[in-house]
Amino acid sequence: MRVTKARIFCCLVIFPFLSVFAQTIAVNSFELPNGLKVILSPSNDMQAAAVCVYHMRGVRNDPPESRGINYLYQYLMFDGNENLEPYDHVLFINKMGGTVSGRVNYDNSFFYELLPAQEINVALWLESERLKSLRLQDRNIDYHKNQIYGRINRLWESNQNFKAQTWVNAKVFEGSAYEYPLYGDLNKIRFLNNDRIRENYQNFQNLANILLIIAGKFDINELKAGINKFFQDIPPGRRQQNPVFGVQNQGKAYQVKNWLIPGLKKNFVVYGIKSPAKISYNFIYFDFLRYYLTDPRFARLDYFLNTVNKLNVEIESSFTDYMEANCLTIEISSPKRINLEKAKYVMEKEFQALSTNLISNSDVKSIRSLMEIDFLKSMAQLEERCLRIGEFYHMFSELNFFDAQLKRLRKITSYDILESAKKYFLKENQVVLNVYAEEK
Amino acid sequence: MPKRNSSNRCLFWILGGILLLLGAGRELFAETRLFSFTTSKGLTVKVLQDNNMPFIHAQLHIFLEGNAQNYTSWAISQLTVMNMFVRELNSPPSNLLGMLQRQGNDYQVEQNPEYIKISMNFLPDRLAAFPKLLKEIFYYQSFHLKKFNQSRENFWSLYSKNKDWRKEMAFLLAYQQIVGNFYFKGLLFQEFVNKINLAQLRSFLLKTFRPDNAILIIKGKINPYFILGMIEKDLPQPSPQPAKAKKEEITINASRKVFVLNVNSPELPAIYWFDTAPAVTEANYLPYFIGNFTLFGFPGGRIYKSEKNQFLMAGYKVNTEAYFLKNFTIFCNYLRLNYNDLENFLLLVDQERRKFAVQPIERKEYLDALNFYIGRAQIDTNRFDFGLQGEIDRFHAKSSGSLPARIGTELFQEVSINRVVQVMDEQMGNRHKSGGKEKGVVVLIGNAALILNNLKILKPDTIELLTD
Repeated sequence: MRVTKARIFCCLVIFPFLSVFAQTIAVNSFELPNGLKVILSPSNDMQAAAVCVYHMRGVRNDPPESRGINYLYQYLMFDGNENLEPYDHVLFINKMGGTVSGRVNYDNSFFYELLPAQEINVALWLESERLKSLRLQDRNIDYHKNQIYGRINRLWESNQNFKAQTWVNAKVFEGSAYEYPLYGDLNKIRFLNNDRIRENYQNFQNLANILLIIAGKFDINELKAGINKFFQDIPPGRRQQNPVFGVQNQGKAYQVKNWLIPGLKKNFVVYGIKSPAKISYNFIYFDFLRYYLTDPRFARLDYFLNTVNKLNVEIESSFTDYMEANCLTIEISSPKRINLEKAKYVMEKEFQALSTNLISNSDVKSIRSLMEIDFLKSMAQLEERCLRIGEFYHMFSELNFFDAQLKRLRKITSYDILESAKKYFLKENQVVLNVYAEEK
Repeated sequence: MPKRNSSNRCLFWILGGILLLLGAGRELFAETRLFSFTTSKGLTVKVLQDNNMPFIHAQLHIFLEGNAQNYTSWAISQLTVMNMFVRELNSPPSNLLGMLQRQGNDYQVEQNPEYIKISMNFLPDRLAAFPKLLKEIFYYQSFHLKKFNQSRENFWSLYSKNKDWRKEMAFLLAYQQIVGNFYFKGLLFQEFVNKINLAQLRSFLLKTFRPDNAILIIKGKINPYFILGMIEKDLPQPSPQPAKAKKEEITINASRKVFVLNVNSPELPAIYWFDTAPAVTEANYLPYFIGNFTLFGFPGGRIYKSEKNQFLMAGYKVNTEAYFLKNFTIFCNYLRLNYNDLENFLLLVDQERRKFAVQPIERKEYLDALNFYIGRAQIDTNRFDFGLQGEIDRFHAKSSGSLPARIGTELFQEVSINRVVQVMDEQMGNRHKSGGKEKGVVVLIGNAALILNNLKILKPDTIELLTD
């Protein structure tokens, strides 16, 4: 009795202090008997919650002869199951003001519901339903195969930029897990074997490869009861070794190619810059460089090309954000080819300058702040927080990264950036595709 | 021995009590608390103290005279904001952009005919520098002829960069049509922009960018008295306010026009359906809000249920956005759809709106709408800017003499179905009809030739052709 009293006392005293001093994002976990790992990140200062199913499998796990299989699940996951009709899942959550989304990527797949906190059990039920009995009938599989083919094919036929970026990505990631597009081979996607798709789903929904991540407001006892109710009868998955990621070797050779397209209205050049993997120590420094050059709030590249040199070129950029290798794509376009040639020269000089000169301290401070604010904002968004927790656990088998990440961000110096620029802005790290209008 | 035990126990409980009190106090401290001030210079400051927030979010609203806007005033305010805040125009470097960069550079400036909203996020260690930044905004003196000329030359590319300019243009058109007696015909802004000079920008700045014409809302782990003291210290006394011309009351035009904005893009065309609704601070606002969901809400809205069009509408999701203005609200329901579905959609919406007169909102529809909005309000508590809009609404309510509104889930529960039916009847049903005209504007954006080819039943005289 005395022991119980003491325990109650300790809980009463310590709990408020824990929550007060927990300035970091709290993350903890437990495992169900069937092997499903559940990760919780409570935030009691809101009335919302996010339920996320993070699959530690993605397109890179496609069997080589059936590329595109896992990508199909991105659509099939919303296509009903034994108890629900297609898109019922979306309608259920939409009706209560919530949102649903999901994405299959190369390294992972991620499906989530953002909804009012008291409705958390509805999301748990919906997620368990699709893990248990996803509808994989010939009719709906064929429908999605045709839909994907139609959509990508239209893009391929009408959009030269899409074609160019696909080519650049293939060259940057040659020989790695990211060499092929997410949808695999466009000409083969309609002919993927449906039995193979059903068979592969056993691997995709293998509980040993899944993390159930819940963030936001919840009552821990009710939540545990809900998780047990909906997930405990899913058969255990085959225990597999945790994936070990390694930095993939991206070949070092400067590649340049010219495409001449009749009737092209705007000339453009696509740069693919081989960049460090997300698991690599250098990732954060290269990310800094990405902010410096291409983030619209800083946009130094835009400043050099358009403000200083008045070249009037349009700049678009994207970053792949993969775990084992990455690509920073910069596309510059202009109706005047001469401006593009000048822009290429300026960019080359700018890359050289970054590899030889230190960035000013004021710029370093400013970008560090910007990166920190973005990181904090992403942790405040529940679905984004779940994704980051899942990715971190997937890469490093660790749950608490918030403090460490902030610490690293705050320690970035101009010397770190110089070293990173020296390593990654080399010419042999670049793939360049010039796409020009064919002159008559 | 027993005496020692009991004194130990006593100490133990006292210590526990103190810790509990401290803990509870800190817990209370962790809640969001509101502090409101008006500085001696007339700036309204609202501090939302949230000790769990790891960064600070601030919004500065500077008010404009919406219904007095025309081509020239629109161009002046746009050019002023551009010269002050556009990062590309930082040569020669301005003090304001330098300060914003040191603050973290995470800022955004939005503008509509009634206010300019400057929102920014920064880390708590930059809080001390924030009042100086405010001073720089209110007493900006870094206009430069070279930058001004650059902003005029590249007006359109600077204006349309990194934003949904189509939606902004559609809203501007709708606003002018709803409150003014004219509209931007032909969108030929450049020739008006070319006529503006730097003196007009300076004069606009002096008249508008004043602490007594603005509201600052700041949220985060902040000591409100510290920030108030700093603002008092750093903001100098504003110059005497120029005599204001007597403001005309906003009157809302009772007509609906269809505009077509020609944009050559491979994307699907977009429909923006604007409706005027009561101001957010009025009692009729929420019933209207619920009624709008009954019509457009996904998936339960009437336009989705319409049997005739069920197949047609499959796959189209209408998004709804509300523009909260001082005297009224504009609802914008928008979606992208195929050219050949444009007219069917317009006719369908019109038909379903008319049905409110003969088929009032049913209990199930009402409950669905309530459920959706209560859920959405709860989910919004997850946003870092949660609570800010409510404070702006309260500010407006106070200045227009109405009772402050309580925006929250509890208010939705107070709106009865009878009230919703009555308001919808006034807004869309029999009661609001005035000469067969309706309040609102439709803007279609896409390839004008294709749009016009696909509008077969809608009368051509209701169409204005605009070009980008």
